[in-house]
Amino acid sequence: MLINIIDIGLGNVGSIEHWLDRSNLFYKRVFQIEDFTNDAIIIPGVASAGEYMRKLKEIGLDGELVKRSKQGQKIIGICLGFQLLTDYSEEDGGVECLGILKGSTKYIDNRKTHNGWDSFHLDARELSGNTHIKKKKKKIASGRVYFNHELKVELECMSHTSKLDNNITSFAIRDNIFGFQFHPEKSQRTGQEILELII
Amino acid sequence: MSFRIGATVLIDYDGNAVQSYNFKVRRILGDLQKVLKFLDTYEVDEIHAIVPYKGKGVNNSFKIFSNLSNISISTPLGIGGGITTENIKEITQDPFFERCIFNSAIFNNPRLLQETKSIMGHQSMVASIPFIINDETLMIYNSENDGFQAIEGELYKEISSNFNEIILLDANAEGSKKGFNFEVFDYIEFPIDRVLISGGLTKNDIKKAKKMGLAGVSIDNFVLHSEYSIKGLR
Repeated sequence: MLINIIDIGLGNVGSIEHWLDRSNLFYKRVFQIEDFTNDAIIIPGVASAGEYMRKLKEIGLDGELVKRSKQGQKIIGICLGFQLLTDYSEEDGGVECLGILKGSTKYIDNRKTHNGWDSFHLDARELSGNTHIKKKKKKIASGRVYFNHELKVELECMSHTSKLDNNITSFAIRDNIFGFQFHPEKSQRTGQEILELII
Repeated sequence: MSFRIGATVLIDYDGNAVQSYNFKVRRILGDLQKVLKFLDTYEVDEIHAIVPYKGKGVNNSFKIFSNLSNISISTPLGIGGGITTENIKEITQDPFFERCIFNSAIFNNPRLLQETKSIMGHQSMVASIPFIINDETLMIYNSENDGFQAIEGELYKEISSNFNEIILLDANAEGSKKGFNFEVFDYIEFPIDRVLISGGLTKNDIKKAKKMGLAGVSIDNFVLHSEYSIKGLR
């Protein structure tokens, strides 16, 4: 397995690599269409939607990601990466995103931010049979995860979505698409459990 | 959202982890990688890695941060000290950190603050505010001048608009257990749930901070010495 990490000069690619290294997974950085393997694709976080989408379009990776998502290739979006999977984001004055998930990304109410740790629980047995997840001995990832964001994802329809008490979508999973609003790569033991469950 | 127990790690110009006492005395703690790995294993909620420039020294931060980026940790990280308009683009090109911590830019560099905010988002903006209270006047530290100065109304507005969170560091109590000076809250105008405190914290101070609804604490030397149990404090 050779996991693809989108690297267009934006996003916390190095932190994602450290995350994969800790679970002894192999990966490569993807700069252009020709670089893709058929394994999972990770879209990292820690950047702004406007600039990220501009660069994706410039290189032609936007259409490629949509195409590969339709072909059933696993896509994992983290924080901004999750938000980019939606149709539209309010960030940077309004940005058309990838539209892989029906819904939009909006500023948290009253322009508040969401920083810190919240609980997380994912039981693979509760996911739909179409979810791209291998059958493993370990079925559950549970603990606490780290959030640091000012926009939130609002989805129109998902097969498995988890919301926090403050109505923020924590994560969403549909077939081959995995979106995490928090940073699993910075969520200590729980982050590694999530990685090992979904890859 | 849970109350956060963080740790501050100071980094000297050679890239070593150092400890600071009373904002004056520094002692080399050891290899930065070992210290960060230790805190990561200890599962502190976040780490604030600061290069504490005092005065207009030679800025070596890009190299230090570059080395820092090679250390694999799974704990949220804030970096500060020596972030400038000249190096902000390079530092944020592959951000291995989630937060940027500023001190001197609070006073004199709104452009840097705006630029950082546009790249990293408002959620990443943290102000480091070391303070002392002299004759009922709140004085806050400006690293560029290496001195404390009285805080004025305009500065409060700047801090409120530019920063998502602030870290109030009791400079007189730093590195000790003599207790955090909570009187600072009589002076500070900032949402309390966006404030972290540091310096001189006792266990009772931490309980009080939690009860007050603060965002969290940063307990530097005591975490590094394992004198406090993170899980117990949570």
